[in-house]
Amino acid sequence: MKNLRIGAILGALLMVAAACSSTPVGKAGGTLIVALPGDIVRTDAALMDDSNTSYVIQQVVETLVGLEPGSTSKVIPVLAESYVMSADGLTYTFKLRSGIKFHDGTEFNADAVVFNYERFIGLPTELRDYAFYIGDIFGGYGSESNLESATKIDDLTVAIKLRKASSNFLLTQTLQVFAIQSPTALVLGKADNTETDVAKITAATGGAGAMVGTGPFKFVKWTVGDSVEVEKNAEYWDKAKVAYVDAIIFKAVAEEAQRVNGLATGEIDLAQTIAPATIAAIAANPDLQLIDRGSSFNTFQISMNHTYAPISNPKIREAIAYAIDYDFLIETFYAGAAVRATNWMPAGVAYAKDLNLPGYDVEKAKQLIEESGETDLTIDFWYPNDVSRPYMPDPKGLFEAITANLEAVGFTINPNSDGWREGYLDDENQGKYEMWLLGWTGDWAGPDNFLKTAFFGYKNGAPSKEFAYKNDALDKAMNDALAAGTEAEAKTLWETAQDLIRADMPTVPVANSKPQAAATIDLKGFIGSAALNEPLNLVWLDRP
Amino acid sequence: MLRAALVDAQLARPPRGLWGDAARRLRRNRPAMVGLICITLFASAAILAPFIAPFDPYAMNGSSLDAPSLTHLFGTDLLGRDIFSRVLYGAQISLFVGVGAVAIALVLGGVLGAIAGGFGGRIDGVIMRTTDVFLSIPSILLAIGIVTALGRGMPQLMLAIAVSYAPTFARLLRGSLLALREADYVVAARTIGASRMRILVRHMLPNALTPLIVQATLVLATAIIDIAGLGFLGLGPSDPRTPEWGTMLVDARRFMQSAPHIVVFIGGAIVISAIGFNLLGDGLRESLDPKLKR
Amino acid sequence: MGRYIVRRLIAAIPVLIGLSILLFAYIRILPGDPCVAILGQHRTPEACAALRENLGLDLPLWEQYIRYLTNTLSGDLGASVINSQPFLAEFLTRFPGTVELTIGALVFALGAGIPLGRIAARKVGGRVDGLITGVSLFGVSIPVFVLGLALVAVFGVILEWLPTQGRIDARARFDATSGLLLIDTLFAGRLDLFVDVVRHLILPSIALGSIPLAIIARITRASVIEVVNEDYVRTARSKGLKEKTVDNRHVMRNAWLPVTTVVGLQAGGLLGGAVLTETVFVWNGVGRWVVDAIQNRDYPIVQSTILVFALIFLVVNLLVDIGYALLNPKIRYQ
Repeated sequence: MKNLRIGAILGALLMVAAACSSTPVGKAGGTLIVALPGDIVRTDAALMDDSNTSYVIQQVVETLVGLEPGSTSKVIPVLAESYVMSADGLTYTFKLRSGIKFHDGTEFNADAVVFNYERFIGLPTELRDYAFYIGDIFGGYGSESNLESATKIDDLTVAIKLRKASSNFLLTQTLQVFAIQSPTALVLGKADNTETDVAKITAATGGAGAMVGTGPFKFVKWTVGDSVEVEKNAEYWDKAKVAYVDAIIFKAVAEEAQRVNGLATGEIDLAQTIAPATIAAIAANPDLQLIDRGSSFNTFQISMNHTYAPISNPKIREAIAYAIDYDFLIETFYAGAAVRATNWMPAGVAYAKDLNLPGYDVEKAKQLIEESGETDLTIDFWYPNDVSRPYMPDPKGLFEAITANLEAVGFTINPNSDGWREGYLDDENQGKYEMWLLGWTGDWAGPDNFLKTAFFGYKNGAPSKEFAYKNDALDKAMNDALAAGTEAEAKTLWETAQDLIRADMPTVPVANSKPQAAATIDLKGFIGSAALNEPLNLVWLDRP
Repeated sequence: MLRAALVDAQLARPPRGLWGDAARRLRRNRPAMVGLICITLFASAAILAPFIAPFDPYAMNGSSLDAPSLTHLFGTDLLGRDIFSRVLYGAQISLFVGVGAVAIALVLGGVLGAIAGGFGGRIDGVIMRTTDVFLSIPSILLAIGIVTALGRGMPQLMLAIAVSYAPTFARLLRGSLLALREADYVVAARTIGASRMRILVRHMLPNALTPLIVQATLVLATAIIDIAGLGFLGLGPSDPRTPEWGTMLVDARRFMQSAPHIVVFIGGAIVISAIGFNLLGDGLRESLDPKLKR
Repeated sequence: MGRYIVRRLIAAIPVLIGLSILLFAYIRILPGDPCVAILGQHRTPEACAALRENLGLDLPLWEQYIRYLTNTLSGDLGASVINSQPFLAEFLTRFPGTVELTIGALVFALGAGIPLGRIAARKVGGRVDGLITGVSLFGVSIPVFVLGLALVAVFGVILEWLPTQGRIDARARFDATSGLLLIDTLFAGRLDLFVDVVRHLILPSIALGSIPLAIIARITRASVIEVVNEDYVRTARSKGLKEKTVDNRHVMRNAWLPVTTVVGLQAGGLLGGAVLTETVFVWNGVGRWVVDAIQNRDYPIVQSTILVFALIFLVVNLLVDIGYALLNPKIRYQ
């Protein structure tokens, strides 16, 4: 998931209590203003694949299972009261909580769950592009989907059947795309697989039937391009977790400077993401607080495609790794809210070890270039000119600094850029770039998510066009590791894989960032999560 | 033929008086002189940048976000580059793109305007309706549209600005030409039998250029602001390291609270150059148009 | 008068046709595959084919143009490729924001520009005149985004006098009906919110109004100077009329004409300036929307916004010309 951010994902993330970790006795009332870096895209949990939408939607809808607060890999029941897996691992039986009502007043029950899961399986072709994760996780739709059926056993019991066993099924079901929404509302909003034109599905465009879930907040309205308003659900089923604030308004404030200005003037209570460049101003303001989300769950790297010279030469790649002034980058562009990458995955992911990656050493870099025998040191280098990502807060600045580092050791850089959505992701994926800036935010905490899915796994039996990195031994080691019978065997294989990668230096990992949030000092009870899984019902405002 | 040439010699352009007069009036116009000083400052920063800039504008030779000091007069940016040097080189870009754009606009608009005003008829109609189309789009939107269509880069930037100004020049020239049609010396030339082309080139154009020159000076001010505006919207030069003022301003605004001086220096550079061209343009208008004399 | 208006309307037709050709061409010459732009990286080949079919991208150019024209004339101005929201509905929800901002800027420009111009004209070449000329010069020379940043920093963040973003205090959760918040808050009887809306309007209006202010001050000054020397003003003065009366009854009445024209001419500039101003002040209007659309490569939105802005510009100019013709009968017969 390199460009997308889904909350509620498992992983080696730490949940850190920012203010108080013991249950706070909060003050009820008030309206919370949250600044997001951009607008939401749709109002249908299933048809979403971006971080802004998911941040808003997680306040309104709920899934059968979720993650235990504080833990990142422990699945707990949410709308389900309990669940059991059959011996063959193919059938999961969920016992549902009773007495829960959707925001439209209809009953949450087995019929509702079946309705939603059948929608996931049978999503019309035209809509599948908008529901990336459903297709990705189940390998397709209809008969191609690993999700075979969802069956009502009784009013409060549902059996979900898979075609083949999948050890990550429960974990993936904590994603908000699998939220249970009111069937009545979905029918009303044409989100029942009958309408194929997404523009006419009012449940997705903020009209009738939009975002009707069971969560602690109810959807009020979406002012497209500007803001989304949700209000407290006073009838929330978990009485201990009824929201403190009366309403939340999520404002799209793309300008980084205006997020900080708004915090300073009190026009914003919480900025979900802030630019590292503004950290100094926030830290200096006694009315504001910085919120650290704990450890990192991403990797930022200088990506490389091995079909191009001189990148194809391992000595050149090693030289590039030595040419980068990592400390400067981390200090300058992350304002210290990042650590130097020691691996292609962040520390904390299972089996990740310190690979002793090259440090900043200009002489060594020059020497390696000398040894490489390459004479044409011209490299086409790309960056995206219209976005910032959690792992890459200032692509333009990072690009400028890295370019300067590389030129200092003798490379000639052709600077290039493209729009993220329009061409960048597509072109790099098709192998059109020689060297470019990109990273990965984890979906789950396994090494396969970074090393195999994100980076170096073969696609259709051959090296990916993206990196064109050929290493059959590595691909075999990773596949064997996934199928390994014992923990010890898996560990050995994953460590072998990491050593193989280190030896080739296929790309240059730079940093693991820790995206920060900021809030006014009177915002209490906020619990940050590196995966942006941050329900705001327990947040309260300590003001008169 | 001979007679025509003779008349040309007598009728072409009122004697040197106009320009000599204008120069004298301009020198006495205090605001215009201030404008000239601003422009000199701007132009010499642009032209002399390689000689007077204390640092390489691309080199990271200080620590990040240093406050202004004797070494770094305007401080340093996030990457530790000298902002003073970057502002100087930024003048070069603004001057180059601005003057280039206005020159292209002048030629393009001038030719169209001359054809429309000189020949009239159907061509005139077509040209005027075309300029109407372009004039109906707010110039910044037009420029944005052109840059997005052509891609980012300095030539594209220049062309975008040029296209958004050319219609104004065309209309202006056409207007003056129409007014001159009935001028005594033009009528005289026509009665002698001078060709249309000759009358246009020898008699009318030189006299119609005055408002064009004034307008070009004023538009240079707008061009500098518009270039920065496009940079501000992320549509500046394609090499991200280019010290273009608008692009630098976007980077600087994030430090508005912690290092506000950066925005002040860059904004100040834009304002001073724009003021220069505005003052000079006004001064030129007053000195070239004796009627406006106080 | 009727014939004059009809003539003007007919004259607008070729301009509109030219505009439609230009905008049609614009979308076609944009770089990149529309499929990538619209469907993004997760697209499937089937979805791509369906999209091309749907957009008619495989038809001959002239047929595509006819399609574009008929769609546009029937009010179908396309939809966002990001969130599928139709252009027209979205435009209409945002337009009031831009209207309010533009009016705010005009009020500021007229309210400050005319008095400044009059004061300056009173003693030409004096110190006050110089100062005012200087201020108006600064006004035309400072980019709106620089002025906007400065206003936010000084009056918003440092002095905390005025809000820095948005059109109304979001915490009020006010439900707009017409979208013109100045009117909506009054009708709802929420005087407190009306004041809040006005406070939100102040800084953006100053940023956007600075250029028209400068121009209006200048024009007022110039036309007052011109009129003051006319015979009828001298006569009025020599009759012993009070200076104030002369000013209001004779000088200003005649100075209004050029001022009106300039206001009309500034309409296009204001719409263009709104693009940058709204971005700086997180203002929910058409300008910020189109900037977002440019950044998201949401070309149908960009294309249709340009079209509608141009239409507005043409209409405003027509109205100004008609008003002008009404005020000044000489024009009609030319």
